[in-house]
Amino acid sequence: MSEDDAVAGPTDDGQLVRVEGFLVRLDLAYEPDGHLWVAPPDGSTGNVRIGLDPLGVETTGTVAHLVVGSVGTRVRRGEPLGSLEAEKFVGPLVAPLTGVIRAVNPALATPRQVVEDPYGTWVAEVLPEAWEEESAQLVRGADRLPAWFADEVRRFRLEGVLAQ
Amino acid sequence: MSAPTTSPAAPTVPVALGRPSGNGSQESPTWVRVSGASAIALRLRSGRFGRSFAFGGINLLLTYDDGCRSDCAYCGLARTRPGTYDEKSFIRVEWPLVATDELVARMAAHEERLTRLCISMVTHPRAFRDTVTITEAIRSSVRTPLSVLVAPPTLNRRKLERLADLGVDMIGVGLDAVTEDLFRSLRTEVPAGGAGLSWDKYWSVVSDARDLFGPWKVNCHLLVGLGERDRDLLELITALHDQQVLSYLFCFNPEPDSRLGEREKTPLRRWRRIQLARFLVQERGFRLQDFGFDDEGGLRAILGPPEVVRDAIRSGEPFMTNGCPGEQGEPGCTRPYGSYRPSEPFRDFPFLPNGEDLAVLEAELAVEELLERGRR
Repeated sequence: MSEDDAVAGPTDDGQLVRVEGFLVRLDLAYEPDGHLWVAPPDGSTGNVRIGLDPLGVETTGTVAHLVVGSVGTRVRRGEPLGSLEAEKFVGPLVAPLTGVIRAVNPALATPRQVVEDPYGTWVAEVLPEAWEEESAQLVRGADRLPAWFADEVRRFRLEGVLAQ
Repeated sequence: MSAPTTSPAAPTVPVALGRPSGNGSQESPTWVRVSGASAIALRLRSGRFGRSFAFGGINLLLTYDDGCRSDCAYCGLARTRPGTYDEKSFIRVEWPLVATDELVARMAAHEERLTRLCISMVTHPRAFRDTVTITEAIRSSVRTPLSVLVAPPTLNRRKLERLADLGVDMIGVGLDAVTEDLFRSLRTEVPAGGAGLSWDKYWSVVSDARDLFGPWKVNCHLLVGLGERDRDLLELITALHDQQVLSYLFCFNPEPDSRLGEREKTPLRRWRRIQLARFLVQERGFRLQDFGFDDEGGLRAILGPPEVVRDAIRSGEPFMTNGCPGEQGEPGCTRPYGSYRPSEPFRDFPFLPNGEDLAVLEAELAVEELLERGRR
């Protein structure tokens, strides 16, 4: 990693910063335990898109399968939204919000897309039931995200799940 | 805004792994492959294990542009399996390429956590020479016990002596097929030619290795599910035990596009029962006559003391990975998720199964059925 990579600084569009070698979008909220990103509700449908953030993808290992519950299923915050299987790992994708699954990204059939473009490849659209209340429990804000993300990278390094 | 629209590339975390160069230069001994689990343990790759356990068994695989010369029907590296050598999996997992010097440096840096190292040869004219070079590099920097999984066609007694002199303490022989007929049909009489793989040659290497390395320092890999009978397996396991040679079981799981790619994976109940039977022979002194077989050679009864059998199951040990031990006799090579997906039941446990695991194992085994038949 170059010295520059360790320094948080805005990229061209102002919404991305690079923190400890990872890109972080400042306009999204993050579920801190599962490292899922959550986009603000769509103005017309109210749906929010959810995906894996780059650190969540990286620390899982080679992603092999991603499965999300069926459209119409109600999920509760903190309970499984789906599951993720990597070369040596399997575990739940924990729902960051309570709501009903409105869409599942067909691109999940090619998990490589999530690895290559974690912000561009959403995994599910959910119509949230309590956006205001539950989104307050997510990590967000351009002033807060770079430091939080840097702490997370250091934590994962200590856990030994990041390549060095 | 409803959703992100930018498409930033995934982060590039620097790792010491190789990339196909296209100029044929990334071969052993300068380069080797490591198992995915080893790459994670040595921080060559990011990733985690599905359950938390200590892991220190590092597996290396020789690598050549023109690949392994063998053409075994079930193997991911088989010569006639589609794909370039770089694209091929081995025991169904990807083996990242890494510079040998870098690998040795990382082994030295992580030595405290390492339990066992193993170099897997492939059938190739340079395999022995390169194994020697890599062994010397490892032994000069790392004290962790070192095994070699040998390619018998490339070896003779003198070469085995050389490995012993270099500090290799255990030898593995991938017999895989447990009868001569199966061996011949799957490994010798094969589309690309047998490359010197013969039943007799394999046994000659087992015998020489047993002489040179001593009791319980040689192991034979036996693949369960290639078409053999349970009786064939137990006959071989007891015969090996009599020679103080260890049996390491591997569960057949088809490699896609291999000639046995469409064959069913070994049923879990059969696998569990063979795991148990091997343990009873190897660790509890059971003999062939302590097992009953049906007319097709399937295991149908256990005639030995039921309490010994139940205690063995409760210990969880029969279901752990068969692998070379660490320095203090602890599990050394545990190959997590080596022959099954993380979402599937553990075929071999890389740790001692816990109470919940044991309850599942007992249901999978249905051992009382075997014990009941043994009492009749």
